Amino acid sequence: MVKFIKKVIFKLYVIFLMGFTVWYGYFMYPLIFGFEGKEKAEASLMELGKAGTDKERMFVKLIAEKEQTKKTDLGYRVIDQPYIEGRFHNIGISVEPDNGSICVRCHGNVPHDHSKEIRSFLNMHAFYLGCESCHIMPGKDAPAWEFRWYKKSTGEVTDNPVALVEIEDSYKTAESMRKYPMYGNYGAKIAPGKIKNGTFTFLHDKNDMAFVNRYIVEQDHLGPEQKSQMKRVIHDSVSKKPLQCDRCHQKKSPYLPFAKLGYPLRRVSELTDTSVVGMIRKYKEFYIPNFLTPGGIKD
Amino acid sequence: MYKQLLAKLIIAIVCFYGFGDYSYAGDELNCVLCHKFRGLSRIDKDGKFRLFYINQELFDSGPHRRNKCKDCHTDINKIPHDPAKKVDCTQECHMVEPSSTEKFSHKSVAKVLSKSVHSPVDKNGKEKKFKEDYPGCKDCHDQPFYRPFSIYKGQLKAGVSKRGISRCKSCHTRGDFAEDFYEHVTTRLRKSRFPMETIEACAKCHQDKAFQERHDLDDVVTTYKQTFHGKMIALGSERTPDCLDCHVVEGENTHLIEAQDVPTSAVYKTNVQATCRTEECHSKASAKLAGFQTHVTYDREKYPLQFYMLVGFKALMAFVLYFFLLLIFLELLRRLFPGFSFFKEKNNNSGDN
Repeated sequence: MVKFIKKVIFKLYVIFLMGFTVWYGYFMYPLIFGFEGKEKAEASLMELGKAGTDKERMFVKLIAEKEQTKKTDLGYRVIDQPYIEGRFHNIGISVEPDNGSICVRCHGNVPHDHSKEIRSFLNMHAFYLGCESCHIMPGKDAPAWEFRWYKKSTGEVTDNPVALVEIEDSYKTAESMRKYPMYGNYGAKIAPGKIKNGTFTFLHDKNDMAFVNRYIVEQDHLGPEQKSQMKRVIHDSVSKKPLQCDRCHQKKSPYLPFAKLGYPLRRVSELTDTSVVGMIRKYKEFYIPNFLTPGGIKD
Repeated sequence: MYKQLLAKLIIAIVCFYGFGDYSYAGDELNCVLCHKFRGLSRIDKDGKFRLFYINQELFDSGPHRRNKCKDCHTDINKIPHDPAKKVDCTQECHMVEPSSTEKFSHKSVAKVLSKSVHSPVDKNGKEKKFKEDYPGCKDCHDQPFYRPFSIYKGQLKAGVSKRGISRCKSCHTRGDFAEDFYEHVTTRLRKSRFPMETIEACAKCHQDKAFQERHDLDDVVTTYKQTFHGKMIALGSERTPDCLDCHVVEGENTHLIEAQDVPTSAVYKTNVQATCRTEECHSKASAKLAGFQTHVTYDREKYPLQFYMLVGFKALMAFVLYFFLLLIFLELLRRLFPGFSFFKEKNNNSGDN
């Protein structure tokens, strides 16, 4: 019996060594002959880039540069930041993807493009405001929305960002002013919702997300009319006219309850009374008469 | 009524001083009111992502921190502003160059660059072919950082030394003069970029296959990475030469890179020895050290000898390795089946009985 077991162990050992020999030959192949697959993939990308139109080339480049970062070693600190071709100023921070928004799934992080003069400002707001905040209004006689922060990573309700308080703290002393608070990148966004039976729910919940995700997966199997139908259904709650800037940036009754959402008093005042409103006024009065009508100015 | 007025006054003072103190010294127009937001961005008509965010901390970590926004973005005179024009790095800024009474500018760098291989015009002032391929400032440089270091009691340490700067500050007490001077000078005492960052800057163009074809250039970046120098840098060495160390004549401005066939070039055949044997590198090496081809490109048409050497070497390696692997495999097979044979001998014993 012992002899038999020894024999089996020996055979298994030999089989293992044979397997290792084959694997080693396979492993060494690219080290001797180069990583052919990688070179081929690069060549095919290059070919695609060369053969195609400017748009195709840009798409190929986007795929190749996806999430490209740039490292800078200062000796006492390494800065790893996103890379954007042709950009001079350092960015420093990456932006957390918004997994909680159904709109971002198709429209992306930088969705505003129509109002040429203010599109950058609108995109800036899209970093901490869910699309629904400005693009879905309550009905005429319906009660006002409730607003909460949702976590970008999960889409779930979260507490008011601590960063808002940290920003405030940075104004307190000369020493704290040397710190650099992060504006607008809170890992969370404000979105509207309703309170049902004492529980808050966002206008777009997990079911809506599942619905949109399914549409994205299945859209190639739909006919052109069906696609139009689906788009209509998905966008049916979107208001024709988006929320105007001065609905929030005003002192009397701002549309967003800033204080309730965790904005400290000084910041609320800044947003509703002094610098920001002042700038909007400048835009409105001296620069772009239509500043307060997003969507009204075309390229 | 009075309470409201008082509250307004307090808030106005807080806001005014808050912004006044917090924004950069050079931010007279309070540009950061908007540009401090990470999301200030758009997609331009060509489909490029344009980000207008300014990271204040990183901006304050480099030599440009003493510049006002308007020093570079000269066309911005009001807020809100029109789309800004492209920045001209050779324009004069507000600072006075300390060794003269002239305003500071990067004109001198542009002048040197115009003599280099990277100039879009040749010696006779004639435009070169594919002139759009030649680099402007932003193609090689993004916003620079200080890379200060300190030496205290013989120990070199990265960063600003509190002990070191305390001596400066005992006389230069006003503002951030001591910090600026210390960081500027110590950064300039060593290379302002980590070697891999320099290589990546060059690789933007020199590793681009289409670029190589247009200018009939070898893939010098890939071949450099295959060298001992390239591998040392990939492993984190800062003492190993990057592109600039070999392609700029010792003591020259780093922007003066000349083509290999220019007699004054650092890599001209008669100058290579001197380039390798500088004080910081192989000072004691024989002149023969520079006799090898640094960037070996295995192109069959251009470099047939190198190409066939490579093929032969690979074939030899493959033969040796796979011959012995096959031998080992067959030996193991025999251990597994000790009695196996394709041609079994006939058993004659049965007939004899």
